[in-house]
Amino acid sequence: MRGILAVILAGSLLLTGCSGLPTSREMGDMALLRTMGVDSASGAVEVTGSTGPRARGLQAEGEPALVLSAQGESLSAACLAMQGLSDNYVFFGYVDQLLLGEGLAKSGVMPVLDYFARDTELGLGAQLWLVKDSTAGNAVESGGEEGIEGRLATLQTDGKLGVAAISRTVGEVYTDLMELGSAFVPAVVCGEGDDTSLMEAGYGVLKDGSLLGYLEGEDARGLEILKSRAPAEVLTLELREGQVSAGVISASTVPTILLREEEPVGLELKCLVEVELTEYSRPLSKETREECTAFLEEKLLRRLESTLDRLQGWKADCVGLGIQAALFRPEMWNRAEDTWADWFSRLEPEIHVKVTVHE
Amino acid sequence: MSRKKCEQGPHPRREPRFSQPLSLENLREVFSDCVDFMERTVYLNGDKERVVTVCYLLGMTRNERLSDYILRPLSQDPALSRVPEGELFSLLQYGALYNLAALRRDALDDVVNDLILGSCALFFQGRTDALTFPIPTEEKRGVGEPENEPALKGSRESFVESIRTNTAMIRRHLKAPQLKIREHIVGRQSRTQVDVLYLEDMADPATVALVEKRLSEIDIDGLEAAGNLEEYLTDTAKSPFPLIAYSQRPDRLCQGLLEGRVALFADGIPLGWMVPGTIDQFFKTGQDRAYHWMVASALSLVRYFCALITLLLPGLYIALVTFHPEAIPPKLALSIVAAKQEVPFSTIFEVLTMLLAFEVIQEAGLRLPGPIGATVSILGGLVVGNAAVEAHIVSPAVLIAVAIAGIAGYTQPSQDFGNALRLWRFLLAILASVGGLFGLSLGCAGLIYHLAGLESFGVPYLAPFTTGAGRSRGHPSLFRLPLPAMKWRDGAVNTKNRRNQR
Repeated sequence: MRGILAVILAGSLLLTGCSGLPTSREMGDMALLRTMGVDSASGAVEVTGSTGPRARGLQAEGEPALVLSAQGESLSAACLAMQGLSDNYVFFGYVDQLLLGEGLAKSGVMPVLDYFARDTELGLGAQLWLVKDSTAGNAVESGGEEGIEGRLATLQTDGKLGVAAISRTVGEVYTDLMELGSAFVPAVVCGEGDDTSLMEAGYGVLKDGSLLGYLEGEDARGLEILKSRAPAEVLTLELREGQVSAGVISASTVPTILLREEEPVGLELKCLVEVELTEYSRPLSKETREECTAFLEEKLLRRLESTLDRLQGWKADCVGLGIQAALFRPEMWNRAEDTWADWFSRLEPEIHVKVTVHE
Repeated sequence: MSRKKCEQGPHPRREPRFSQPLSLENLREVFSDCVDFMERTVYLNGDKERVVTVCYLLGMTRNERLSDYILRPLSQDPALSRVPEGELFSLLQYGALYNLAALRRDALDDVVNDLILGSCALFFQGRTDALTFPIPTEEKRGVGEPENEPALKGSRESFVESIRTNTAMIRRHLKAPQLKIREHIVGRQSRTQVDVLYLEDMADPATVALVEKRLSEIDIDGLEAAGNLEEYLTDTAKSPFPLIAYSQRPDRLCQGLLEGRVALFADGIPLGWMVPGTIDQFFKTGQDRAYHWMVASALSLVRYFCALITLLLPGLYIALVTFHPEAIPPKLALSIVAAKQEVPFSTIFEVLTMLLAFEVIQEAGLRLPGPIGATVSILGGLVVGNAAVEAHIVSPAVLIAVAIAGIAGYTQPSQDFGNALRLWRFLLAILASVGGLFGLSLGCAGLIYHLAGLESFGVPYLAPFTTGAGRSRGHPSLFRLPLPAMKWRDGAVNTKNRRNQR
């Protein structure tokens, strides 16, 4: 009996020492937000959340997505204000898509990322997107009754499979901003007219938490090769033996910092790219293959030069070329780490592209 | 503590129970008002000068043997009337009567016991001793199939209520003379035979001695149920977990003996116990050694996994749905939200009520005769369950979680162990209702603490998983190795001879 009393007493003391037991809440009373958009609005923060398509009852009758929008002086205040807009408890634990409006991205994303890192319900695993030329609120509302959660999830999955832009989580971007000082974020743009679905729009480049600009088209594909990711594209070539189409199946970039008298003077990039012919009329002759290889190497070289030129202009090594090269020259990195952004902008690029063509 | 109290109790066991001198009159007094007590006076070979009285209990003896092998020689053997009176007693004891055993008794207590066990007693005029001949009736249930431990690939015999049949079954499996069988009598009124079996060159002598000591200390009125033995033999009665493993199957009990364990039988109870009981025993089945080792290993892992499921699932459901919804995958969460919206009760109430309802249905099914029990189960499980879901009284997710937990519990080979898990399942569900995963973790820690504190005949209950440093392990317990690789008996059982094959 004394032992039981001791256990009860110890348990009571333990509970007293803790901050209390967790609070229970019934899931049936919850609105589970899946997508969250954050914008800046004249000194305030505007948060727009969407639950995505909902179900009700045993037969799971479809209900339209619940879209809530609230403003506050801070992100937490806006989130709190959202609670009063719904009949149910608004639960942020399932937010796995975060959209940031262009205005907010230009003024700084760090407060939002900080909030995601610290909040008990939100997490760093949410996918991050920039909304180009619009607000996140517009993007969230563009989904209508179906919500945009499905569309963003598709883009995210395609990105992981290599058939869309590289998807990035809040945690990855947050880490890059703190470690590299810059980061790239996939951008989306709202469709115009009747088609309001979200479309890919390259990548936005953040430096010190603020949006510098976008890499689109060839520049965006160049960034993917710099990141050793095969861009999702098919290249069409006009060769002597006719037109052929080729898809990039793998890319690998190894950066090296060139030194002169122990000072960084150049950035050498060795890119190995493998392409596979997808459409061709007959097996390529040796001459045609060489022509094809030369054409692709020239094209990819121009692309990489353009991308690197823009990144150097922004002083933003968002791909982490410096930190990769530092693996081979740690002593150099110790000296250059603090001022790497300036070094990066001054280094003379020396790019070597080697393409292997598979039929 | 309780054992010491028993020794000092107000009604110590009286030995011998009948201290009067042995005589026919005193025997009649002992069995007065016993309608089944019978006497038959016989003239030896018709000689009225030589009278013997045959006493027996009707129904306890086999009538044909009594008539043919005791009464017929007594009344017809001419030698019995010719032999001098002084040698008559010896002649009957050593040959004139055709029985396997003849025992000379000079204490009333012994004769009374012999009669109760199915002997007949012969009293001679003017003598203070008597002869008893065991001729017990052989009316008993035939050896059938083990209903609780069905065999698909192996022996199909099961223990019966007759202790001697059971020991004979063991002796047929283990023909070694090292198999020792010692008998104890338990129960002031029931006088139940309890046999202790062990292999002399394998079993730990200390365990054998401890078992016999505890058996001799049992001072109860009657041994009518398995609990009468289990609860008196175990180290503690404060745990719902069984500390002694039992089996209906002779082959499984023999395997226990070969592992160096000590077995027990009680007359009238159709099963055998094995001590010490360690936790791995309750996850093993008689079929483990019959199946291919890979299949047996996979099934063993499934049973351990199911034990966790049946124990934790209701509590985990409460903790996740009520306290930590963010840990549920989104699509599952959406389904739970959709199904829960129209249910008026809280998740905690739902789960606890459904757990209780599950137990009620199970209990009702067990108490009723087979066909009616099955009907109750179908009505309760399917019809009422389905109606409750459609009426939005419970959500389907709760029903599924409770049903999975319940069904997972049925995979446990030991009913006793499964019952203990059922009790702890309730406790963990309540703790999860109070503190979510914190409460559930606290409960799990408490369960491990509880199990780690248990011992069975000096062996840690969690052995062989927690066999201390320096103690030899036998072989893995979570899965089964190929039999040629299982060369060692488990060290935790303190077996004298650890190597079991070349």
